[in-house]
Amino acid sequence: MVTINVNGARREVQAPGDTPLLYVLRNDLLLTGPQFGCGLAQCGACSVLIDGKEVRSCITALSDVGTDQEITTLEGLPGRWAKQKGLSQEEAKNTLHPVQHAWIEEQTPQCGFCQNGMMIKATELLESNSNPTPEQIKAAYTTSGISPILCRCGTYKAVMESVQRAAAIMAKGR
Amino acid sequence: MATRSTNSIDVFGATLTRRQFVKTSGILAVGVSVVGTSPLRGDTPKGTVAKNSLDPSLASSWLEIHPNGTVTIRTGKNDFGQGSVYTAYRQIVAEELSVPFEAITTVVTGSTDQTPDGGGSFGFLNDGTPNLRKVAAYTYQALLDLAATKLGVPKDKLTVKDGVASGGGKDISYGDLIKGQQLSLTIPVKGDLTNIIGLTVDGNPPMKPVSEYTVIGKSFPSSAIREKVSAKANWATDVRLPGMLHGRIVHPKTLGSTLISAGKLDKVKFPSAQVIVKQNLVGVVAPTEWEAIQAAQQVAAETKWTDWKGLPGTAKLYQYLKKESDWTSTPVMKSGATKGDTAAALASAKKKLSATYQLSYMKHAPIGPTMAIGDVQADGMVHIHTHNQNPQELRGEIAKMLGTTIDKVVVHIYPGPGHYGRSNGGNAGAEDEAVILSQAVGKPVRVQWMRADDIQWSTQSPASFSDVELAVDDQGKLAAFQIDHYMPAMQDDRLVGAVLAGLPTTPAPDVRGDFVTSTVNNISDEWLYAQAPNVIERGHGTFQVGQKASPIAVGLRDHSMRTPVQFQQNYPRELAISEAAVLAGADAIQFRIDNLKEERAIGVLKTVRESSGWDVRPSPKPGVATTGKEPVRGRGVSLMLRDGTYWACVCHIAVTPDTGVIKVEKCTFAVDPGVIINPTHLKRHVEGGAMMGISMALLEEVTIDESGVTQDDWNSYPILTMADIPEIKVELIPNPKVGKYGGGSEAANALAAPAIAAAFYDATGKAIRRLPMKPAYVLEALKA
Ligand code: FES
Ligand code: FES
Repeated sequence: MVTINVNGARREVQAPGDTPLLYVLRNDLLLTGPQFGCGLAQCGACSVLIDGKEVRSCITALSDVGTDQEITTLEGLPGRWAKQKGLSQEEAKNTLHPVQHAWIEEQTPQCGFCQNGMMIKATELLESNSNPTPEQIKAAYTTSGISPILCRCGTYKAVMESVQRAAAIMAKGR
Repeated sequence: MATRSTNSIDVFGATLTRRQFVKTSGILAVGVSVVGTSPLRGDTPKGTVAKNSLDPSLASSWLEIHPNGTVTIRTGKNDFGQGSVYTAYRQIVAEELSVPFEAITTVVTGSTDQTPDGGGSFGFLNDGTPNLRKVAAYTYQALLDLAATKLGVPKDKLTVKDGVASGGGKDISYGDLIKGQQLSLTIPVKGDLTNIIGLTVDGNPPMKPVSEYTVIGKSFPSSAIREKVSAKANWATDVRLPGMLHGRIVHPKTLGSTLISAGKLDKVKFPSAQVIVKQNLVGVVAPTEWEAIQAAQQVAAETKWTDWKGLPGTAKLYQYLKKESDWTSTPVMKSGATKGDTAAALASAKKKLSATYQLSYMKHAPIGPTMAIGDVQADGMVHIHTHNQNPQELRGEIAKMLGTTIDKVVVHIYPGPGHYGRSNGGNAGAEDEAVILSQAVGKPVRVQWMRADDIQWSTQSPASFSDVELAVDDQGKLAAFQIDHYMPAMQDDRLVGAVLAGLPTTPAPDVRGDFVTSTVNNISDEWLYAQAPNVIERGHGTFQVGQKASPIAVGLRDHSMRTPVQFQQNYPRELAISEAAVLAGADAIQFRIDNLKEERAIGVLKTVRESSGWDVRPSPKPGVATTGKEPVRGRGVSLMLRDGTYWACVCHIAVTPDTGVIKVEKCTFAVDPGVIINPTHLKRHVEGGAMMGISMALLEEVTIDESGVTQDDWNSYPILTMADIPEIKVELIPNPKVGKYGGGSEAANALAAPAIAAAFYDATGKAIRRLPMKPAYVLEALKA
């Protein structure tokens, strides 16, 4: 039995320690925001935040996640924002993260299968840089992590516009 | 108590029946009746379609209007990322019914037990008449008839706004019209439920004139996007059934290997796993996904296969295609554009060009590999849970594989990664394997291909080449154009698991296939340069490479991928037209305009010229360079007509001669689809397609050795990343006088390649006639 800290809650899991976190999240905890894309740390479909850093859950063994580390999945983005903004439980339930709002306003996804990674990366970026330039956005999605975050449907321009919109929403503190 | 009634009236060939009066709610269900032959595929046993299906021979629901005025629509087409079923389809139906967009509260897609029509998920707008539009138009007429009777006002004196019919000083809402009754509208339908096209709504109900549109043309958001972004979507990958096992496939070592012996499972390490072998299909199942993955790896390492070498390898591929492929067994196709005496014109011309253009094998490369859950139940029912472009065709194929009837098969559809045409003939790879494994273990099995399976065992877009001969006259106009397109068959709809397991499946592409599965290479790039006096276009087809030689009949299996066939034909044509402009000493856009007649084609070119900042002059650009560390720059153009939409594209590129690296710096599109349904979504489709098109043009080539595909991940089969995207501009040209809406999305993929290649010539003075324009091939072109 391993205890991990996911989206602000402590969760007990039975899986063997060498199980990639991706399968623990998806199959044991039914947190299906992260997706299986390659299993090789080459695409970003499986991304989650661990202590605020974008990490590939497909190559992160369960046993490598510390009990005190904070995992945030796509499902946990609203709660993460609510906590950062000190929103009440009631408000938190009805909110989305500004990144998610921006993604809806910009109608960003095509098939959407890669967009988990796109939104996780945006969150990581905007928490450290509240107003990134286009070049900084490109760098975040290509050179900042273990591999570029890939989108086969070609939504890169929409993602760039959405990151900028999310930055604007966050600046307003919504 | 319900009261029976035999009331029925004719509505433009449809039949409106009031079946009964009911006390409480009410419904107007629009069903179908069949004209012509049986809608079920000829060689599928024709049992009655059971409860699990909306029986196409009986009235059933395409569309329901409820007493509160809300509407449910159903379509066998299923969303692959364009969102058209959640945006354009709702807009089209709302428009024809004269209800607000928001009144359409539910869109049911794909699942074979919940949708009526089938057909592949492509061509969503299909020259402006998708089935649902006609269904809505029939329904509108029926509602007018009901309102006329109810209000005692003649039908032609009624108007409808926001779902309320009014006339003669009286009005009634749709909801009130149908309240307390069960009405059924039976409309004529024809076609084959389980083939690539599916059923088509027949007849010609009056349609709303474009001038009266109020819903079409507005950028409504897609309801699917909110669900996906907020982690509320139920993806195919999320489905978990009770007792379900996880499965992985140990695919053969080569595309022609047969099984010698399956590896023995290490029962100590993997106590709950099982190996399943059916001829050459080896599968491993286990209760947890991680155990299944590890056990499959262990079994794979110990499984023995025969060796096979039967492919030409990438280096010899074009030589093989040219010299060794059989181009004579398949009839040569000619296009309707044939005119004049091209041979004579070429023989007598002074300025002429003869060139060959090559396209690579390319992967659909979905961001998530194919997956499906098969659930073969004890009572003979078979359920498949997946993401698929043609669930009804899959249903027919699975029935055939199992030797059962299609009423025993239900395909349940969920969102998933786009795969760009790979499953429009019913399968993407994992579906049948999941069913075979489920049948073997008597439990639901979820088969998920790993990345390497998806690159090495899926179908691909075939390599091809085209020979062009053209001439320009002294006035600088196109005098003769001859093009011969050569391409292996592009639509292998066989279930690969069934092939490996030795189970029945649809035949491999052959000379005698139906219109999609034959080796025939039709001309699908519509000829546009109508002023040219001498034109000949021919399509030559052949068998898939290695398929006949493969002991397991696999080899390189091909399948349509975004703008299929037309991509392979438009690239050589448009690049050749740019080269003809060079020969004529003319500007590439002006040369096109001077050889066109169609105003819409000229319109997109003028718009793209203006918007892209095109400098009018002949190519190459003065001061070209073929060596050096400094990038040289150029621009090129391309033009296409697809599904009623005119497209033009300009790419501005930078080439670094010493490295052979091409960077697209700016990409400008002009698009005239006639009526624009949803500008925001169309723009997003074009942007996405443009990026995928640049990726294909610059990077994508399936590499093969003599045994199979040598790539197995995103490093070996790279696609465009955000770092490499150009500035992109999309000009949408609303053209309502066209009176219908053309297709969007996939066509955008095709435009970049010929524009980039023409820009390369502009920048360097060297022709590049091979895709992809990756550094190695660029350096070759520069040295030539
Ligand atoms: S699935 Fe983890 S990076 Fe691709
Ligand atoms: S939206 Fe389809 S892969 Fe990115």
